[in-house]
Amino acid sequence: MSKEACIIKGTKHGLSILIPSELAFSEVLAQLRARLASAQEFFAGATVYVSTTDRELKPEEKQQLAQTVEAFGMVISEREVPEQSASAAEHKAGTMGEANEPAEDTLLVRRTIRSGQRIWYNGNVVVLGDVNPGAEIVCTGDILVLGCLRGVAHAGCNGNVNASVFAFRLEPTQLRIASYISRSPDEKLPRPLEPEIARICENVIQISAYQSS
Amino acid sequence: MGKSIVVTSGKGGVGKTTAAANIGTGLAQIGRRVCLVDADIGLRNLDVVMGLENRIVYDLIDVVEGNCRIRSALIKDKRLENLFLLPAAQTREKDAVSPEQMQVLIEDLKKEFDYVLVDCPAGIEQGFKNAIAGADVAIIVTTPEVSAVRDADRIVGLLEASELYDPQLIINRIRPDMVRKGDMMTTEDIIDILAIKLLGIVPDDESIIVSTNRGEPSVLDKKSLSGQAFRNIVRRLEGASVPFMPIEERSVVKRLLRMFNNVSGRS
Repeated sequence: MSKEACIIKGTKHGLSILIPSELAFSEVLAQLRARLASAQEFFAGATVYVSTTDRELKPEEKQQLAQTVEAFGMVISEREVPEQSASAAEHKAGTMGEANEPAEDTLLVRRTIRSGQRIWYNGNVVVLGDVNPGAEIVCTGDILVLGCLRGVAHAGCNGNVNASVFAFRLEPTQLRIASYISRSPDEKLPRPLEPEIARICENVIQISAYQSS
Repeated sequence: MGKSIVVTSGKGGVGKTTAAANIGTGLAQIGRRVCLVDADIGLRNLDVVMGLENRIVYDLIDVVEGNCRIRSALIKDKRLENLFLLPAAQTREKDAVSPEQMQVLIEDLKKEFDYVLVDCPAGIEQGFKNAIAGADVAIIVTTPEVSAVRDADRIVGLLEASELYDPQLIINRIRPDMVRKGDMMTTEDIIDILAIKLLGIVPDDESIIVSTNRGEPSVLDKKSLSGQAFRNIVRRLEGASVPFMPIEERSVVKRLLRMFNNVSGRS
């Protein structure tokens, strides 16, 4: 039994998995599966960065890693583990590579999401119904709610700052896009009368009336 | 074969036990054979509300553990001869019974009664899972408060996950004066979020406190407003179409006083 083990660390950008250079790849996969299975709820929905020391991963090894990680509900990111001195400038559109591309797969949910229910998806999510307070939608792409969004929506959870959140009535308890978090103001605002869309603009989440043009 | 109904809410203190007691008594009043089951093991209240606490010899856990037959544990109501209560145990905890055991028990009771009403404990853990185990339909009780509605919404989701679809809603302790002033959620606000069928609206009524302490469900009191609301709920459960009570004071004296105040210039 090799003494070396994969190290899983939490960083502000997501989970970082460090693969030691001497460990056989099959052993790496086995260890990962065991660790992830033991704390599935904790890891689900996380973004994962893989880094190695003095070791080049073959394409099929990268593929197997991605499959293992995704089987536990996580998203693997192609990016290198970011430096500790990463600044807000990194979040500007364009410097993040693949993470900022629009997601292709879309999940269509044909019911109201109730309090305590959570939808996680690697792609966009469209809800034909309401999202009640206490419910959560987390995805890597856009979120569209064809109803009232009253819960928590996290779009672009893998770091995609181009993701947006749309709803017929945008009244979320919290809105998250990539690593930006925004909450509804404390004073009670009049209910929105028209569909609205939330996007990141100038480093802050901005909500504007939706115009289809 | 009877029907089993679970009365649940998520939030504690919204009126599940009161509702179960009153609906059960109301159904028995119109001639149905009704069995009330208290599923709140360890914190039993249904016996107190029904005024039957000093008649308890055996309880639900005794039945499930085989210490006695169901018949021995059932307590006949002191007023109505077709109303029975299966009390919970007070000295045990919620893990003393399993959902499978509850299901068998409720199935047995359904053979003897037209209605089996199960009073569910607050929460979403073992007690809740036990209570919904044998149920055919669910009634959700909520008060017009944000926290209660939030919990009720969670319960609707959990019921759907257990294949208990189309629960019906009772909005309890509504205060017409506060609704009018905009200080309390309206029926529409609540239905907007929960999106389930409304079974009844029960006004906040001081007489409930009195009747609970005396062990006489308010549905037996002809003068009680909340009693009238529960009687309407009973009729709706039986299939009748009953308009909802208007949410304003029914007392003639109060209305006259309001008219008098308006005329003399006071607000």
